[in-house]
Amino acid sequence: MAEPDPASTPTPNGASRQWRRNVPGLVGVAFLALLVAACLGSLPWTLTAAASAGGASTVPRYNAGDPSAGRLPPAWWPPDAEQSERLVSLVPAEQLQSIADHYGITADDLLHARNQAATAEAIRSAPKPILGTDVLGRSLLVRCLAGGGISLGIGIAAAGISVIIGTLYGAFAGYVGGKTDAVLMRIVDILYGLPYILLVVLIAVASDALIEEFVSRSGARDAWSSRTVAQISSQISSPTPGPSPRLEGIDLDQPAPADDPFTRALAAELSRETHRTEDQAREQLSRHVDATRGDLLAAAALLARPPREGLASARVFLDVCTLLLAIGGVSWLTMARVIRGQVLSLKGQPFVEAARAAGASPSRIFGRHLLPNLLGPIIVYATLTVPQAILQESFLSFLGIGVKPPLPSWGNLAAEGLSELNSFRSNWWLLLFPCLLLAVSLLALNFVGEGLREAFDPKRARR
Amino acid sequence: MTETAVANATPQPPNTQAPILSVQSLAVSFENGRAPRVQAVDGVRMTIYPKQTLAVVGESGCGKSVTALSMLQLIPRPPGRFDRGRIMFRSDRGPVDLLTLGAREIREIRGNEIAMIFQEPMTSLNPVYTIGNQITEAILLHQRVGAAQAREIAIKAMSDVGIPDPERRLKAYPHQFSGGMRQRVMIAMALACQPRLLLADEPTTALDVTIQAQILELITGLKDSRDMAVMLITHDLGVVAENSDVVCVMYAGRVVEYAKVFDLYDAPLHPYTRGLLASIPKMRTKAQTRQHRLVTIREIVDDETQFRQLPGAENGVRPWWPWHKPPADLTPRDEPAGDYDLLEVAPEHWVGVWRTDAVQHRESREPDIGYRVPARA
Ligand SMILES: Nc1ncnc2c1ncn2[C@@H]1O[C@H](COP(=O)(O)OP(=O)(O)O)[C@@H](O)[C@H]1O
Ligand SMILES: [Mg+2]
Repeated sequence: MAEPDPASTPTPNGASRQWRRNVPGLVGVAFLALLVAACLGSLPWTLTAAASAGGASTVPRYNAGDPSAGRLPPAWWPPDAEQSERLVSLVPAEQLQSIADHYGITADDLLHARNQAATAEAIRSAPKPILGTDVLGRSLLVRCLAGGGISLGIGIAAAGISVIIGTLYGAFAGYVGGKTDAVLMRIVDILYGLPYILLVVLIAVASDALIEEFVSRSGARDAWSSRTVAQISSQISSPTPGPSPRLEGIDLDQPAPADDPFTRALAAELSRETHRTEDQAREQLSRHVDATRGDLLAAAALLARPPREGLASARVFLDVCTLLLAIGGVSWLTMARVIRGQVLSLKGQPFVEAARAAGASPSRIFGRHLLPNLLGPIIVYATLTVPQAILQESFLSFLGIGVKPPLPSWGNLAAEGLSELNSFRSNWWLLLFPCLLLAVSLLALNFVGEGLREAFDPKRARR
Repeated sequence: MTETAVANATPQPPNTQAPILSVQSLAVSFENGRAPRVQAVDGVRMTIYPKQTLAVVGESGCGKSVTALSMLQLIPRPPGRFDRGRIMFRSDRGPVDLLTLGAREIREIRGNEIAMIFQEPMTSLNPVYTIGNQITEAILLHQRVGAAQAREIAIKAMSDVGIPDPERRLKAYPHQFSGGMRQRVMIAMALACQPRLLLADEPTTALDVTIQAQILELITGLKDSRDMAVMLITHDLGVVAENSDVVCVMYAGRVVEYAKVFDLYDAPLHPYTRGLLASIPKMRTKAQTRQHRLVTIREIVDDETQFRQLPGAENGVRPWWPWHKPPADLTPRDEPAGDYDLLEVAPEHWVGVWRTDAVQHRESREPDIGYRVPARA
């Protein structure tokens, strides 16, 4: 190996020279490029609906499957007797018939594997997914691709968030210095001391309640109900006493026929709320025959405060967003420390003093002279934060806090795979492939980050 | 000349007779943990005229940089503090006290009317930008010109400071330049906005001797061709002799001697100055080689008789020296550095003395010498 140049400096040239010698880093970059292209590039395909035989399906491709084709092994793995039987049964009827005719047996013989050659032929023509299928017969490849897109996307975005927060926080603390710096860095120390997983779980759980309220609006409905009941009870003068649950003097367990004063008052309230005529409101309520007053009230509340549109997709989107915030929001601490240290040392550099002497304002010095010099460490730590964030996402999804099914991620795919691992039948592919993808991409990311660190750090490069 | 005079509402012909900057009893101190504050500079006075080079000489740590940095409010505060004094500057908008200007006002002076170059040319340039980028930034900070025009000015400035092939060098990065070339770039940046005063804080200390001479020659030449004043900070008296008009010798935060350059070399009055001059190695003739040993500063300042040679010594005028016990007839003023005075002991020749009875009654001007060495050959 050639003697490293002792004069190598953290200049762009020096960095790229160091970089070219780093074989694991280069392999990592190549692998990641492929993986990211495959996962993110296929998202438009995996997230859109597959056209099924009976017409257009509304289920996205990563979620579409045939339950009878569940738990099939990868195409290149020899199926056992039970799997073979199911594979044969998946062959379209006409094709099955033609194979049976060819071997001179009936389709029923074929289905019961009475002729080995014919069965082998039928299995060959059966639809076989490359990486096998999961419990619900969904292609594992498609789910791994979509899960990869989501895992990598969350990882990269969370790393981006942590880079932004960490850089701004650390750079501000370092640049201002003095007491402000001391206070800001003690806050970081305290956050460091807290178990971060607990923080993430708390953020995720707390935001879950918020999402629930935002999307399905159950709280808003409750509020509407009690407000309405209060309104009505002030109108109805003679409430009948009774042992059943009561609200503001109204017995909610009583049946509510159409001519009941409660029903009429409720219809009036509802019509005011939904801008319809009273008749229309009464008509809507009258669909609930034999209902108690309580049932009627719940129905009216649902009409007055309906859940938001696109409930499922909104929930998925918000879920992913909170996960992103939770991970990004706790992983910026190291970044902030590193950047602060860099700023402190850069601040004392003569070129900063020279810029001040030339009349540059503090903000200009910060943006033009400090930030560009921070680019090296920012890039390195960003690359090292991505695998960390991906791991955290997968970990949380594995525990069931993060990305929730049916949306796949490598973490919840692994969790599903683990639950399918039993002594009766292993279904190993369900666990192996998500874990393999996760492990190899984490390794690749760490190689790349390590390589970048060496490239940007003259002291290490000189070894 | 007349055109600009007409263009200006208040025509100001370059007044080379009035000082451009005068430092009046400047005192700067720094926090020092729980210990008492460090008095970096105390009672410093000096005056600079246009087209003049004032050399500030003294050993490391005597407060030269603090004096220069104070002029641009570049002292970090805290820990630093301006205790006393004024620095009057004749700016384009009339006289101002540089110490009391607001943040925005001083930024308009920095790099524009007063420019500064530093000792470390290797690290005074930002490694991530090209030379051209940094020079044009300095121009765009203070001048309302377009990018193309700024580039023109930058090229002109680079050729002015003797950088060959400036158009191509504009695209080079600092690490592609040698130390001498980088210092030329620093000078080009400093001069791009036509400052009226250049503060050069040991501009050649980090350079080797031949480059040193070239850079100083360059600064002197540029000073003469533009109505610029230069404050040249150095600890090298050899540099001073050839490149300055007036010399200010500092020690321990105070001015100990202030005189025209030839007066100082021919008749140094403060023992410390004599020590400094005696300790410069000189080429000797064969006849002199018997006395081959160098005289050290210590040998001179440790000699009591050296302190009794001032004009007026018979009346008790004694050079100020922090390591001596003050004379018995000291009559200090009630203020910091009140035991000390900068006394004009000979015409246009000031020496830092103890404020004894004899000194108290002598009338003394502020140090102020408008002298310039006649054009050098
Ligand atoms: N930022 C600072 N903090 C504390 N003390 C300082 C600072 N800058 C300068 N000083 C003090 O001021 C004195 C003079 O320093 P300086 O002007 O830099 O000396 P020099 O004459 O070598 O340029 C030093 O002895 C040092 O104790
Ligand atoms: Mg200095």
